Amino acid sequence: MTTVEEQGTSLWRDAWIKLCKNYLALFGLAIILLLCLVSLLTPWIAPYGYEEQNLMLGATSPSAAHWLGTDIFGRDMLTRIMYGGRVSLTVGFIATAVALVIGVLWGAIAGFVGGRVDAVMMRIVDIMYALPFMIFIVLLMVVFGRNILLLFLAIGAVEWLTMARIVRGQVMNLRKQEFVEAAYSLGLSQWTIIHRHIIPNTLGPVIVYTTLTIPSVMLLEAFLSFLGLGIQPPQSSWGLLINYGVETMEEYPWLLIFPGITLSLTLFALNFLGDGLRDALDPRTSKDQ
Amino acid sequence: MEGLLLKDSTTLAPKPGLAESWTVSEDGRVYTFNLRKNARWSNGDPHNANDYVWSWWRALQPALGNLYAYMYFSIENAQEYYEGTVTDFDQVGVKALDDYTLQVTLSNPTPYFLQLLDHYSLYPVHRGTVEKFGTADERGTRWTYEGNNVGNGAFQLVDWKINRRITLERNPYYWNSDQVQLNKIIFYPTENVVSEERMFRAGQLHRTGSIPADKIPVYLEANDSSLHIAPYLGTYFYRINTRVPHLQDKTVRRALAMTIDRETISKSILKAGQIPAYAMTPPGTMGYYPESDLRFDPEAARKLLADAGYPNGEGFPTTEILYNTSEGHRKIAVAIQQMWKKYLNIDIKLLNQEWKVYLDSESAGNYQISRAGWIGDYVDPNSFLDMFLCNGGNNRTGWCNSEYDRLISDVAPTVKSHAERMTVFGQAEQILMDELPVIPIYIYTSVNLVNKSVKNYADNILNQPAFTEMSLQPEQSNIDGAQY
Repeated sequence: MTTVEEQGTSLWRDAWIKLCKNYLALFGLAIILLLCLVSLLTPWIAPYGYEEQNLMLGATSPSAAHWLGTDIFGRDMLTRIMYGGRVSLTVGFIATAVALVIGVLWGAIAGFVGGRVDAVMMRIVDIMYALPFMIFIVLLMVVFGRNILLLFLAIGAVEWLTMARIVRGQVMNLRKQEFVEAAYSLGLSQWTIIHRHIIPNTLGPVIVYTTLTIPSVMLLEAFLSFLGLGIQPPQSSWGLLINYGVETMEEYPWLLIFPGITLSLTLFALNFLGDGLRDALDPRTSKDQ
Repeated sequence: MEGLLLKDSTTLAPKPGLAESWTVSEDGRVYTFNLRKNARWSNGDPHNANDYVWSWWRALQPALGNLYAYMYFSIENAQEYYEGTVTDFDQVGVKALDDYTLQVTLSNPTPYFLQLLDHYSLYPVHRGTVEKFGTADERGTRWTYEGNNVGNGAFQLVDWKINRRITLERNPYYWNSDQVQLNKIIFYPTENVVSEERMFRAGQLHRTGSIPADKIPVYLEANDSSLHIAPYLGTYFYRINTRVPHLQDKTVRRALAMTIDRETISKSILKAGQIPAYAMTPPGTMGYYPESDLRFDPEAARKLLADAGYPNGEGFPTTEILYNTSEGHRKIAVAIQQMWKKYLNIDIKLLNQEWKVYLDSESAGNYQISRAGWIGDYVDPNSFLDMFLCNGGNNRTGWCNSEYDRLISDVAPTVKSHAERMTVFGQAEQILMDELPVIPIYIYTSVNLVNKSVKNYADNILNQPAFTEMSLQPEQSNIDGAQY
């Protein structure tokens, strides 16, 4: 048991040391932390109220009073983006976390146990794939009512499928490898093997896919909100701001550009961080460096 | 399809359609129409007075579930027949004196009767076709489909792809076919006004049914003559569900109505010169100007809300505004949500639903406040006011006032002069605006984009373009499409 523990801790410590050498990943991490911090503090630091309208002012381009301009209701865009971030980041992280937990467990069990269990579990995934996910989410919302927490869960519940497939493929590959067979011969339980050996070895693709899931989840939320199933005005999210911005991009380009930049920045930061984490956490390189 | 009469494309005055002339008896109750002998259905069948008697009989069959049955109720015994108190259709005031003479008897002189004849609910249908695909009072049969449909108008349905396009072609049997310039019209349905405007700019459409509000200043600034803004006989309003406990009190409804800053909504959000509405009927409808003491007054509204038991909005339940999914409705709802929050300190939630779901919720009374619009079916205050009768199919607010019903159903149709009739409407409207089961917001303007190659295009207050009169100058463009 002591050997196993040593391996585990050294993996994480190694990873951190390697991550610190990757400036791009650190930059990504810094941006994400900054965005989270700003979102957390928004109610205290936002320059205006997020629902405060000034209809006579209308849409104005960026100025000293409104750094990022105002929307057609005369609402401050900076404030809207800050409040939008609270919704978008929460949806992004919670829904992705739900997808991650279900997908990794499902894929790992299917791939590890194999045989008939695998066949049944993967057919279930296939069936879920074939279901139009929009209808699935709409049904969930109709049955359980409109509730923002449910929105997170509903999105998470449809986003785990690809994750499950990726993890299953990795696991099927891994379970035939010598170190896993060695673990068997040492008499470790299946569960210990899954979470000590299999899961850490699948982290690379999982992390990359996770960083891709977060932005797609944010856009999915915008789409649902647009249909009246997600959050409702005057609340907003980055995806919704972009949706509205697109409609008036010729007249008021700043309504599209600033939320667009914010979302892109988040996406880049997540990708840099994801790449860095993948390199850092890859157990196959950890012993050599 | 075409009715007995048409409307002038600009003034909307009735003019001969399938009836080439008509006479009215001295007491204003009996109309005699002389039908065109050269009129044909689009399959070449003769078109005659019996088609009207049969079609109107069909329209009054309760089993058909005609939403516009009330359009017939000015005809003698039509309502009684529809409701089953008269069972013999011969007693209803519609008779074919011979093949080309139709006589219609009204219960009371109805000044707008001739206008009704150009409403699609009074168009004749081709008996042979309807009966080929089902019984006369069966709903939703295939007789309306492409290839099956037989009409009597200038254009004929040739192709119908649901949610994609509707194609009409010239009907060679139409009595006035020589004068019709367009050979083909294609309608492209869309819910997205932004893409509609882009299609127009790309030259894919000759006419749009709307334009995004934020584009209006751009067109105005460029002095672009393809932008047509014209008065439009319609009112945008909010229905209040008076069955909801906290909205039962009319002082609450008044407080809500008094804290909508209509001027600002019109100027900053709508941008096409819409008139703030303080009454249901658009002012100037047949010389009628509604009186209303409704005004924008947040101070007085706060007092009213306090009187109703919600000082400073305390204890007022969160209320929901329902609207059908559309950018324009959302903007107005967001603005009003904030006005009520700011002036009355009450919390409003917004709920948008797809059009059909929204209609279901509204008809079932499953809403608190819902957005609505009403376009006059004909140019008369009655078209706006008879909606709110206790049993009006489009009332949907649960509001019922016996004095209002008496004025609209009993008094207005029987008074002698136009001025008297307008006074009665004025009294009824004052009751409506005192009780406020609906909050009027603005009077529409029609905003269309029309390609410069379209000639003889006339704007009118019902926003009904006369396709029979338009023409295209082909050297400027080789597309032929129009759009609602």
